[in-house]
Amino acid sequence: MRQILAVAAGLVVLVSACSAPAPPRSDASVPPAGPAVLPVPTGPHPVGTTVLYLKDTSRPDPWDPDVQARELKVTLWYPTEQRDGQRARYMTPKESELFLKGTGIASAPYDTLSKTRTNAIQDAAPSGRKLPLVALSPGFTKPMSTLTSLAEDLASRGYVVAGIDHTYENYATTLSDGRVAECLACDSDSDPGFGAGAVQNRAADVSFVLDELPSAWDGSGLIDQSRIAMAGQSLGGAAALATMVRDPRVRAAIDLDGTTYARIPKNGFTKPFLFLGTEQHVPGGLDNSWDRDWKLLTGWKRWIVLTGADHESFTDSPLVSGALAIKPLPGALAAARSAELTRTYVAAFLDQHLKSQRQPLLEGPSSRYPEVEFCPATCGHS
Amino acid sequence: MTINRTAAAVLALLLAAACAAPTPPRGQAGTTAGTVCAPPSGVPEAETATTIDVIEQAYFCILGNYYSGATLDARALLAAGFLALTQELNRDGRDVPEATMPALTGDRKADWAAFEAAYRRIADQAPDLRDTLAAVTLEAMVAALGDNHARWTHDVKPPPDYYDGDGYGLGLQANVSGWQVDGSSPRVALAPLFVTTVGGGAAQAAGLRPGDVIEAINGQAPFIRGDATPAIAALYPDYPDARPVRLRLLRQTTGRRWNVTLKPGLYPRDPATLRVVQSKLLDDDIAYVRMTGFAPDSANRVLRAISRMRTGRTLAGVMLDLRGNGGGSPVEVARLVSAFVHGKVTAYQCTVDGRCAKSSTDDTVELLNLPLVVLVDHGCASACEHFSSAVKDLRIGRLVGTRTAGIISGPAQSYLLSNNTLLSFPDRHHLGPDHEVIDRIGVPPDQYVPLTPEDAAAEHDPALAKALTLLHK
Repeated sequence: MRQILAVAAGLVVLVSACSAPAPPRSDASVPPAGPAVLPVPTGPHPVGTTVLYLKDTSRPDPWDPDVQARELKVTLWYPTEQRDGQRARYMTPKESELFLKGTGIASAPYDTLSKTRTNAIQDAAPSGRKLPLVALSPGFTKPMSTLTSLAEDLASRGYVVAGIDHTYENYATTLSDGRVAECLACDSDSDPGFGAGAVQNRAADVSFVLDELPSAWDGSGLIDQSRIAMAGQSLGGAAALATMVRDPRVRAAIDLDGTTYARIPKNGFTKPFLFLGTEQHVPGGLDNSWDRDWKLLTGWKRWIVLTGADHESFTDSPLVSGALAIKPLPGALAAARSAELTRTYVAAFLDQHLKSQRQPLLEGPSSRYPEVEFCPATCGHS
Repeated sequence: MTINRTAAAVLALLLAAACAAPTPPRGQAGTTAGTVCAPPSGVPEAETATTIDVIEQAYFCILGNYYSGATLDARALLAAGFLALTQELNRDGRDVPEATMPALTGDRKADWAAFEAAYRRIADQAPDLRDTLAAVTLEAMVAALGDNHARWTHDVKPPPDYYDGDGYGLGLQANVSGWQVDGSSPRVALAPLFVTTVGGGAAQAAGLRPGDVIEAINGQAPFIRGDATPAIAALYPDYPDARPVRLRLLRQTTGRRWNVTLKPGLYPRDPATLRVVQSKLLDDDIAYVRMTGFAPDSANRVLRAISRMRTGRTLAGVMLDLRGNGGGSPVEVARLVSAFVHGKVTAYQCTVDGRCAKSSTDDTVELLNLPLVVLVDHGCASACEHFSSAVKDLRIGRLVGTRTAGIISGPAQSYLLSNNTLLSFPDRHHLGPDHEVIDRIGVPPDQYVPLTPEDAAAEHDPALAKALTLLHK
């Protein structure tokens, strides 16, 4: 009976928590506006990108019991001096199709997302020295590319970004042999303990990537291995917390609107942490996890809520919704604004904690960004 | 009481998630009925206090939509509510001279008006108890239906330190379930009381093991002259009950007898053990699948697991372990039955005047054409019993273990009340494929194989062993 109780509780938590594929935001759709164009990165550097395929033979795949190794696709974004060249592809037509079908979006041709224009130059030579590294983890069911706008912006500001497609945890990831891995984890995402198990798997994925990066990527000599942070959206944000708790290399982390699952040690945990979320995540809301964790974080911490944001505001979804003929809900943040807010506050946190540059933006409300509320002190219940 | 509440709430929640009402509820009893309450939609909003207006809404919601709402004597609901109200006053060490039951006539609306007037008079004299009085009154009215799928879900708040997958309690399960103790399930409890599983928490920290016999709970005997006593309920505290529980234990293998005090609390559990569908190959030719609930898509998960184990191998049969399966969606039941037989009725859902709808097999599901043995016990409830009775009546497999819970009145529908609490109950009652009542009676196993403390201590699973021999015959 205890177990059934937890089943129910788990369902409730999950429902309010992660996945919830973004269905079209209103019943009225608009004519498609041509291919989506991701906003230009704001930092001083041009951006390069490349893909690595890594295989962890020390553990079986957590979702496919027939596979004795964990295969991961890692997308790197980094500063480069190269301004011209082939822009990186956002998704393959097949990935776009599987992602849109899985998410329940049928308002545009299924290959639409593959036409999205990105800013990073494919396989450009990396440049810079002693670059801080940011691991990036997307939301459940979402390919890594759904955080491209954020990743490109961080790279332009002088970060190396390692974005991880957690295999079988999204609708479409093309693996090294051309096979497209689909969402096996979606089978069990309503199980009690699903989130708790998933973030531990993701933490293992990230630690493995940090282990392998020096030997797997030619540019890794540019990375300052002592300055590593992690960020993620939704389940990816929960994974950022889980990874920070168990991997000493990860010094700081950001959770973008994700219900959290990892246990923070109760004897004080001092690494810097940023919660950045929607009004669903105000103190005392439906999801108890941020309130619970807030008490256990004893170092530098912020809890920021963006008025008018929704769960997808931290991803590329608003930026591609026009191309998908999805009309935003009245009162929603404009796509460009949600991208600006996400990029600005994520970068401010990383600049402060990996580059030791004090950020007044993180000290309190700002007239430039009136959408930003600092919790729990000055944010009201929605 | 609290355990009863939780068990029912949990079933209701699972069913609410599963059994989406295909059509809006029909009104059967007067003009207010049918429109007085609607199924929930969208994100739930914060609960507010229960008032007499909420009770009124629930009263007419039941009369308009419940299985026997059109025919039941509404005076019985009002009397049950009124009794609970007076008991709550007395429990608080007071009474109200005017707290006498008003005369009722059988006219549902007039009777409500009389009840409401009396209620207001009483509640006005105990303003500090207002919210509690309303809650116990409504709880008692719902309980008066005597229906194990009727439930009012309110004040649901997980513990603030709750993590996904956590359990709450002592961290143990015994051979007598909470449902047996609180009366949800009429299954007979047999002495001795012993630990069957240790899932974590205080029980694990204290070194308890399966097979440990519980000789006393808080100094009280679990059985008196063979009958289970209410003392057993202390094994299954609900949050926020955190009162320590003192146990006297006997480990039969060593003869050791000792006392422990276990404090209820949240405890983490291994996510791998919480997966609703788990599978493994037994003896290299039996596909064993354990299913803890008929959750959405769970039938497909079971079938995919079997198909994976069948790849490159000739299977001798399928063993479905449904012990402790608390139920879920009838759609999943029908799908899973359909992997073993086509063109059959798996159950009937009947109105109080005997009009029945059929649940039929989904003949688009590919037949497995494999022998089937199903492990059942007193923890197999609701949709699990739908499945078990279909297996038995349609002769698609054999049941091994002990009789099922008998908690299957009918699939519950949920209705949102004006204070954002949920009222759930069935509008039809469940019958098996042979039109037999399953509720309370349960489904008897074809092979009766109970668990003994000796088996539990030795980590021996006699039901599973019996199932293996049946499949290998």
